[in-house]
Amino acid sequence: MPTPRTRLSDRRIATLALAALAWLTACERPVGCTGDYCGTLVIATAGEPDILLPVVSEFSVTRDVADRLFLKLADVGPSGNTSGDEDFQPQLAERWEWDAPTTLVFHLDPRARWQDGQPVTAADVAFTYDAYTDTLVNSPFRPSLRQIAAVTTRDSLTVVFRFRQRYPEMFYDAVYHLRILPAHLLRELPRTQWRSAPFGRAPVGDGPYRFVAWKAGESIEIAADSTFFRGRPHIRRVIWRFTPDQTVAVTQLIAGDADAVEVLVSPDNVQRACAEPQLACYPYKGAAYGYVAFNLAAQGDTSKPHPLFGDRDLRRALVMATDRERLLHNVFGDLAKVPPGPMPQLWWIWDPEIRGLPDDSGQAARLLTRSGWIDSDGDGIRDKDGHPLSFRLLVPTTSAVRRTYARLLQEQFRTAGVDVQIDEVDFSVFTERARTGRFDALIAVWNSDPTPSSGFTQTWTRGGFGRSNYGRYDNPDVDRLVDQAVVSAGSRDQARRAWRAAIETLNRDAPGIMLFATSNVAAFHKRFADVTIRPDSWLAQLATWRVPADRLTDRDRVEH
Amino acid sequence: MATWLVRRLAASIAIVFAVVTITFFVIHAAPGSPFLPAESQHLTPETLRRLSTEFGLDRSLPEQYLLFLRNVVRGNLGQSFALRRPVADALADAIPNTFTLALAALLIDFALGLALGIYQAVRAGRVGDVVSGNGALLVNSMPVFWLGLVLLLVFGQWLRWAPVGGLSNPVLCPRLDSPACGLDFLWHLTLPALTLGLVGAASTARYQRAAMLEVIRQDFVRTARAKGLRERRVLLVHALRNALLPVITLFGLAFPFLFTGAVLVETVFAWPGMGRLAVNAIFQRDYPVVTGAALLTSAMVVLGNLIADVLYAVADPRIRVRSETA
Repeated sequence: MPTPRTRLSDRRIATLALAALAWLTACERPVGCTGDYCGTLVIATAGEPDILLPVVSEFSVTRDVADRLFLKLADVGPSGNTSGDEDFQPQLAERWEWDAPTTLVFHLDPRARWQDGQPVTAADVAFTYDAYTDTLVNSPFRPSLRQIAAVTTRDSLTVVFRFRQRYPEMFYDAVYHLRILPAHLLRELPRTQWRSAPFGRAPVGDGPYRFVAWKAGESIEIAADSTFFRGRPHIRRVIWRFTPDQTVAVTQLIAGDADAVEVLVSPDNVQRACAEPQLACYPYKGAAYGYVAFNLAAQGDTSKPHPLFGDRDLRRALVMATDRERLLHNVFGDLAKVPPGPMPQLWWIWDPEIRGLPDDSGQAARLLTRSGWIDSDGDGIRDKDGHPLSFRLLVPTTSAVRRTYARLLQEQFRTAGVDVQIDEVDFSVFTERARTGRFDALIAVWNSDPTPSSGFTQTWTRGGFGRSNYGRYDNPDVDRLVDQAVVSAGSRDQARRAWRAAIETLNRDAPGIMLFATSNVAAFHKRFADVTIRPDSWLAQLATWRVPADRLTDRDRVEH
Repeated sequence: MATWLVRRLAASIAIVFAVVTITFFVIHAAPGSPFLPAESQHLTPETLRRLSTEFGLDRSLPEQYLLFLRNVVRGNLGQSFALRRPVADALADAIPNTFTLALAALLIDFALGLALGIYQAVRAGRVGDVVSGNGALLVNSMPVFWLGLVLLLVFGQWLRWAPVGGLSNPVLCPRLDSPACGLDFLWHLTLPALTLGLVGAASTARYQRAAMLEVIRQDFVRTARAKGLRERRVLLVHALRNALLPVITLFGLAFPFLFTGAVLVETVFAWPGMGRLAVNAIFQRDYPVVTGAALLTSAMVVLGNLIADVLYAVADPRIRVRSETA
């Protein structure tokens, strides 16, 4: 039987526990914000920015945060059209005009201010261009600006871009990647130190949101700038919560610890999230595509052809031996499409009518036999001149999608008499081997800009050697057609025809097996209204999203 | 005692030095480049060369090693390639989180483990002993990440009694600057600490049970009972002190387990500690962070063992006498 003293202790403990609970729940008490500008958006994301200085980082989560803090001169409109300037929307520039076919003049909005109170000027724009093209800063966007010859100021609010030549996406090149930076805060900083500048962990921008806090490994918070010259955003606070992987992010969303996830990625996650009554799912076109890249050059000597994949007929046979629809269904369900060439669904050149090689195992087998690849020793693997038809497929351990694809491909090729050995290596090894050409074949995935002009060129033309053209695919006809599409096409239709011809030529050469082009699904808490997603940048329309006053929760109301 | 302590300290420093040296050479020998973190990054060979020069990777490995040692002696752990900030800053952010997690887990481990072990010893062979013993064995057999996932699913996702990850509620407590947010932090700590602590407690309980069983059969315990002391006093004062010796050894051994377990638990619960930092750094070939994390982790583990040795010596005078006469 407990003694009175023990009972008293128990009571004390209970009182303390209740007080602690009351204290904790006091945090949740709805206070403060009411009305139309109270929303709080918590985004769960697998990945953390390296630095919030957009000139030196191209991680997608960095872009998501930085694009709320730093303005471009103009941005792609809802149509996603990147040709000409008609569909672009003003951001920092209130208007623009063409002084000459290769001279573009921007007039900055005089109301624009840095969040430390300084005005945004043409000098900031010129400074930004200089930084983006400086080899010491080594911006990943430098290649995208190579057609711009100079950026100069005419007066404090007028800036002039001069191009080397005329081409359809001049305007896009001038505005899409350049996030204007504050010269007065960065000018004195040595360019070699930009990649680790303290500014990048507590930036001062000119956008609709201002930086609040970055807790390393945990979260970043930004808050709406109520004085923003283009109008105060409805969502008052945006918080990114960093998770180790996408599954944890989805779990946080379902558990109510987060409000949104950009991409649910797997059919399993889509099923989990979209079945939740408090969540709404938003499908949109994906910017990623994946493929098996054959190494066309010998390992260690790029001047010689690869002993297997130097043979065009063999590559064609392997493409035809692949049942891509079945693979896709097994891995993605309905969350992807078999691409008609090396392209994501996002690109405007996407056209299911583009001709490619058929998925036809019978034709593949006949082609292999005709090329001399037969199973002479009855071991189930074709061989020629004593060499088995065998190659190694490189995939990164970090990608469940690619590892699954590799195993399914191994099985499909086995039935075609082709032996595939899978090399699973961690990501840094994967990229190092890919860049140095130390592989037979690999599964690559690219997340692309909204236009094929840069992504396609870097990956499938001679200009991509040493960069993303890992397999060293080289066809002068393709290069010429791409050049025609990017530079000399007079209209969008002409460009489309040139792109189509380039891709059909590439498909005939079979430098790889085009496996999938993703379809994205984002998930949001249903209290958010007016949610629209621009596929190339899912938060681009954030300024128009809102939480109606009658749907506010404690999370939205809480003052901090 | 002082000589013994100095000797142990010297040995501890040598161990840390060895761990760091091995880590340095192994991570540098591992294939992969630290400057290719993302497939989409298009670094030209010239840029890669420039970055190598900037971070001293163009020098020979012995040169890099000597430079690293010189910097460590000066308190400079270098600049992270991937995080783009000083390694010391990154570690300073992560260490308190891992340390708090490890400490909370240690408390659960020993509080629960000792209590359960004593309970089982007192009830040896009875239903309570058998049930709790098998329960402890079950928990002890579970991989720590799996237990974490189960707790996360049940208490985080289904019942929604606990948050599913992170250090704190970022909406209410963007900074831990109020007592209420301190409690919020403890609330977020509950599941990860329980995960790590429960697995350790199951093991501690088994050791404690065996030690107690051995002690309570000894003559001095029988004498204490014969003198008419209350059973609780006999157990908690006379028997427990003697039965604690093997558990103090466990205390020292618990540190490596806590730090390795923390790697998995931090990943499952999105807890931004040393484990996650080190694992990410290994995958990204972020040499300075890997070696910095190895330095600190080994120092903490060695320190934990040193504390255990000192406690052992305090608890058992025979060890002190032996070490002094040796």
